[in-house]
Amino acid sequence: MTDVLLKEGLFHVPESPDDMPYLIGSRCRVCEYTTFPRKKVCIRCLRDDTMEEIGLGRHGKLETFAIMRVGPPEFTLPYAVGYVRTDEGVRVFSQLTGFEMDDDALDLGEEMELVIDTVRKNEKGENVIGWKFRPVGRKSP
Amino acid sequence: MKKLAREVSVIGVGMHKCGKFLDKDLKDLSQVAIWNAIHDAGIDAKRIEAAYFSNALAGLITGQESVRGQVYLRASGFEGIPIVNVEGACASGTIALREAMIAVASGLYDVVLAVGAEKLYMDDTASSIRALATNTDIDIGAGIGFQFTGYYAMSLRKYMKEYAWTQQHFARVASKNKTNGSLNPYAQYQKPMSVEEILNSRVVAWPLTLYMCSTMADGAAAAIVCAKDVANKISNQKPINLAACALRSGEVTGDDDGQKHVARDAYNMAGLGPEDIEVAEVHDAMAPGEMFRIEKLGFGSAEEVARGVDNGDFTLSGRLPVNTSGGLAARGHPIGATGLAQVAEIVWQLRGEGEKRQVKGRNSEHPRVGLTQNSGGHVEGSHAALSVTILTR
Repeated sequence: MTDVLLKEGLFHVPESPDDMPYLIGSRCRVCEYTTFPRKKVCIRCLRDDTMEEIGLGRHGKLETFAIMRVGPPEFTLPYAVGYVRTDEGVRVFSQLTGFEMDDDALDLGEEMELVIDTVRKNEKGENVIGWKFRPVGRKSP
Repeated sequence: MKKLAREVSVIGVGMHKCGKFLDKDLKDLSQVAIWNAIHDAGIDAKRIEAAYFSNALAGLITGQESVRGQVYLRASGFEGIPIVNVEGACASGTIALREAMIAVASGLYDVVLAVGAEKLYMDDTASSIRALATNTDIDIGAGIGFQFTGYYAMSLRKYMKEYAWTQQHFARVASKNKTNGSLNPYAQYQKPMSVEEILNSRVVAWPLTLYMCSTMADGAAAAIVCAKDVANKISNQKPINLAACALRSGEVTGDDDGQKHVARDAYNMAGLGPEDIEVAEVHDAMAPGEMFRIEKLGFGSAEEVARGVDNGDFTLSGRLPVNTSGGLAARGHPIGATGLAQVAEIVWQLRGEGEKRQVKGRNSEHPRVGLTQNSGGHVEGSHAALSVTILTR
């Protein structure tokens, strides 16, 4: 089965065992506003000369989540989604993985870490590769 | 933000019933709503000088991506006048109303039509579902599994943890709105439903069950917007003042509360506060969302909102009736029409034309001040478009 990337420029796929995945964002040198996906302009300063690309999102805390029991055919049901507040302070919408899909499986505030995984199929039936977060220190089901 | 240069009124509103109409297209739906509004205003249709046409998804669903208004409104008799196409997902209808307001307030026109129409039920359901998913940043939203049911479910889960909101509260709100919808001839769902039936329906995304959620809908709604100083010269209808119509785009950099900011904008524009509002239509694509809308609009703290649900505060006979039309989940949510359908309901309530669902005013037979709140789409953790409208008589 062929795998295709969700989109170039959103995240880093590890190239070796000691390489780590991360999301590609940016941070303002002046006000430290941090954003994902990366932007050339700081929304807070409204300037185009202050943003630097950074890697972010390796760890974060779960703000909230939902188990989706209905959805488009490209997604394998049920699947979990959530908002993770990364250590850099960015709120990222993400699928969640690495636990049983129970409605109360996770605790709000739980530590999460970034993984690269299949997020859905595309119309050709190929796996679309993106990012997900999983709870830290749990055994995968 | 400055004030409008000229006061603006709504002199006519009209709808096409919400529901599933496989034998009707956007020309048919628009025509019914537009001409209902024209007859409601009692004006000569030739007085209409410009039109704002709101629709979210016809491009993807029907293939009519360009010049939608120019195409669809010919079936209602309009040519020659400027027709402007407006899109802002679920908030499209209010954006059209706001542009009509600005056009009249500028002094360029005296009478402008705002009309929204949506056609979601087609033979190909999958294409409708795919189209609905595009009201997000598709790279980082729909493409990785964002659905609005999930967005509401995630928000509600936080309120449940922080403020002891329960699934029982959510089912009570949904049941209240089904009752209101049963009294609305334009509603998609006209069957009352018990709290138990709602709780026992299939889980879509916990805490949401199927009967708490809006479904696909076809429908249309229209409003005739007129300069206040012209209204009485061309229409015998009692004009309703468009006291405020505020719009913002999503905010995630500050305190992340665009919903409160847009409400503040509207209250400032109208010179009114939440305590003045006597009836409200709020954006509840999933009925329990009504609870956080009520909070963000300043009608009460999260704890007070939960108590209000327990006490029946938001029912037709309550302290502040909300979603008297049935709201999005019962009246129906024909996306591009929804904002204008909300406005039609408030106009009817202020005029005392709410029929079986008419609510009382605090100090008069019918309410004097009503509000609509309408949000659309999603960007980076916020609604993409946020609006609040205040109508007075």
